[in-house]
Amino acid sequence: MSRAILNEIDRKFSNFLHNTGNKSMDKPVCTKVISIMMFLIMVIFVLPDNTFAHKVTVFAWVEGDTVYTESKFSGGRKAKNTPIEVMDGQGKKILEGKTDENGKFSFKVPQKSEMKIVLLAGMGHQGEWTILIEEFEEETAEQSEKQTPYKGGAIKPDKIIKTDITSEENTGTSPCITSEDIQNLVEKTLDKKLNPVISKLNKLSDQDHGPGVSDIFGGIGYILGLVGIGAYFNYRNKKKDASQP
Amino acid sequence: MHISEGVLSGSVLLTGGALAAAGTAVGLKNMDYDRIAQVGILSSAFFVASLIHVNIGPSSVHLILNGIVGLLLGWAAFPAILVALTLQALFFQFGGITALGVNTVNMALPAVVCYYLFSPLIRKKNPMAAAASFAGGFLSVFFAALLLGFSLIFTEQNFWEVSTLVVMANLPVMIIEGIITVFFVAFLKKVHPVMLPGALE
Repeated sequence: MSRAILNEIDRKFSNFLHNTGNKSMDKPVCTKVISIMMFLIMVIFVLPDNTFAHKVTVFAWVEGDTVYTESKFSGGRKAKNTPIEVMDGQGKKILEGKTDENGKFSFKVPQKSEMKIVLLAGMGHQGEWTILIEEFEEETAEQSEKQTPYKGGAIKPDKIIKTDITSEENTGTSPCITSEDIQNLVEKTLDKKLNPVISKLNKLSDQDHGPGVSDIFGGIGYILGLVGIGAYFNYRNKKKDASQP
Repeated sequence: MHISEGVLSGSVLLTGGALAAAGTAVGLKNMDYDRIAQVGILSSAFFVASLIHVNIGPSSVHLILNGIVGLLLGWAAFPAILVALTLQALFFQFGGITALGVNTVNMALPAVVCYYLFSPLIRKKNPMAAAASFAGGFLSVFFAALLLGFSLIFTEQNFWEVSTLVVMANLPVMIIEGIITVFFVAFLKKVHPVMLPGALE
């Protein structure tokens, strides 16, 4: 499809130049520059559906004792059946796997350490995501609080107070719904509700909306600037040569 | 076609950097500074072309246009492509700053090779010129794919597998670029033949 569009552009472009070419024969360089800029602008705007891509990204987040990852190319295409490697903080490989049809991959946490998740998309493409140790610690703190309320040694004081209260309530309230049940329920619901938010956040933090128009024209501007510098020195040297025969 | 940051080992990056520096030096020395506007325009075209994306095949591939850049510029393709790749790395996060040398060599060297192979032919009569420009567009991407496979030889170990993969993934791009190059050259010949290499003016 894009080939057809490009041919079409080419045809229009050559018509355009054919029409304007004769009129401005006295300023061929100017026409040349303008026409090629026109071509670039047309390429950018006539093909709005083309996906801006050439990067591969991977995101990961911790939930309980499982790490979930999501991978895709910057155009939004999922990275299917792509090998993933997980390294620990020292760069030693812990485990490896492959993404599924939706570019997802999850694994049980073998050890709680800093992790680097590397997506090997092949052909020189590679994406990385680091999970900091804090993310695991939050999870483990919650879990130990839940499971062993009286192993207070490692837990911060405010948490001991909290667990004391819950255990008192445990014995005091009716046996139908314990506070633990409520806690579990709340956590489950929160997980469920937060999941889309987390993945949305991932999408946002991914700086992956493709290069904007400002990036494109910024880049072209730099190139034209370099051309200007080159031309300046060229003409200055020529002037010098002319003045010193 | 761009190799990401952190894929290649240090020695490959250094070799690539040295080769790119040498190529750029030759390019800057040989460049006709009266035609610097042309170099800039082609550099811009290369810079933007990577955004045109061909969604065929398993991976994501895009236009490269190193064939056109090479056919028209010769050795000046090196500085043109180096500048464009630097800006792509900064603005689009394509490739990476450390991999800049390798990426430049991968795309500019085939361009120079195609310049020597085909630029004398594109000034000939039409069937020959069209065939030469198609081959220029096609082969410059093909050689770039081979070079990419070659630079990954030390990391992925299996040259043939990677190279076939890259070549297959970029096959649609090669064909499209061949066609674009044919149109581009034919169009320049009609409208502004001075821009073609070898014009004595």
